[in-house]
Amino acid sequence: MSKEVVLDCFGEACPVPLVKAEKALEKLEINDILIVQIDHSCAMKNVPEWARKQGHNVEIEEIDDGEWEVIIEKVK
Amino acid sequence: MTTGIQRSSSSTRRSPRKKKKNQIPFAIGLLIVIILIGIWLATKENHQALYWMLGLAFGFILQRSRFCFTASMRDPYLTRSTSVTKSVLIAFAITTIGFAAIKYGYFIQELAIPGQSYIAPISIATAVGAFMFGIGMVIAGGCASGTLMRIGEGFWMQVLALFFFVVGSLWGAHDYGWWMRNFMLAGKRVFLPDYLGWFGGVLCNLLIIAVIYVIAHKYGNKKSESELH
Repeated sequence: MSKEVVLDCFGEACPVPLVKAEKALEKLEINDILIVQIDHSCAMKNVPEWARKQGHNVEIEEIDDGEWEVIIEKVK
Repeated sequence: MTTGIQRSSSSTRRSPRKKKKNQIPFAIGLLIVIILIGIWLATKENHQALYWMLGLAFGFILQRSRFCFTASMRDPYLTRSTSVTKSVLIAFAITTIGFAAIKYGYFIQELAIPGQSYIAPISIATAVGAFMFGIGMVIAGGCASGTLMRIGEGFWMQVLALFFFVVGSLWGAHDYGWWMRNFMLAGKRVFLPDYLGWFGGVLCNLLIIAVIYVIAHKYGNKKSESELH
């Protein structure tokens, strides 16, 4: 059964969400899902870009005006 | 881009989707206010309305493109991503040509070239200052333009950054003369067209930018390739 971890990064300025996401994803197993919640627009660019570059599946959902969830599925 | 990640219901419930407010009426209102201020500024002084429009356009592009000078310097270290670095380099190349054209225009008309007082002497102060600024902007989460833009987006933490940015700027301006006399004047003012000619100066700048671009491009691609194996 794959795990799902929610990482609350609301109020954190870039690059803190990225660094946190990097560390959190390291601990996860393959097929686990990491949900990074952010409200700093800059992190909206570099978190998905970083995750896609690493080869993971990434989805972005705008949960409210200026608040997003980056959903990362660890594939390797 | 949809990859179809299946989320369990537990986490979806944890972040209940609020109904978003319709922002269109607000946008129309804001547009009217912007135009009214623009018309009012046009009656004041010649260039004010132009500055107003350029400022708004700059901010809009900065925000929509997620352009970030901080990220351009920081992300190569953090994630080896150089896409923002490359776009900043392209911006530098365009401004090099633009500024050279403006300055050359004044030069051939034998008018005083504008902006020459901004040519700072090259000294160790430049390197030390740049390094300190780099540390500051990464901690603050944005450079000057980035901080302003994100306050506009409603990211309140950076109001704090703006406050100390203002304090620091005032302090810097207050002691600027002392730093100038004791450190900066030790260096030499270099205006490339004086040494290489106008064409040579622009070419020199563009070549340096091109070399950094190629390095940034190769650096950015390196990791993704090695990780595929």
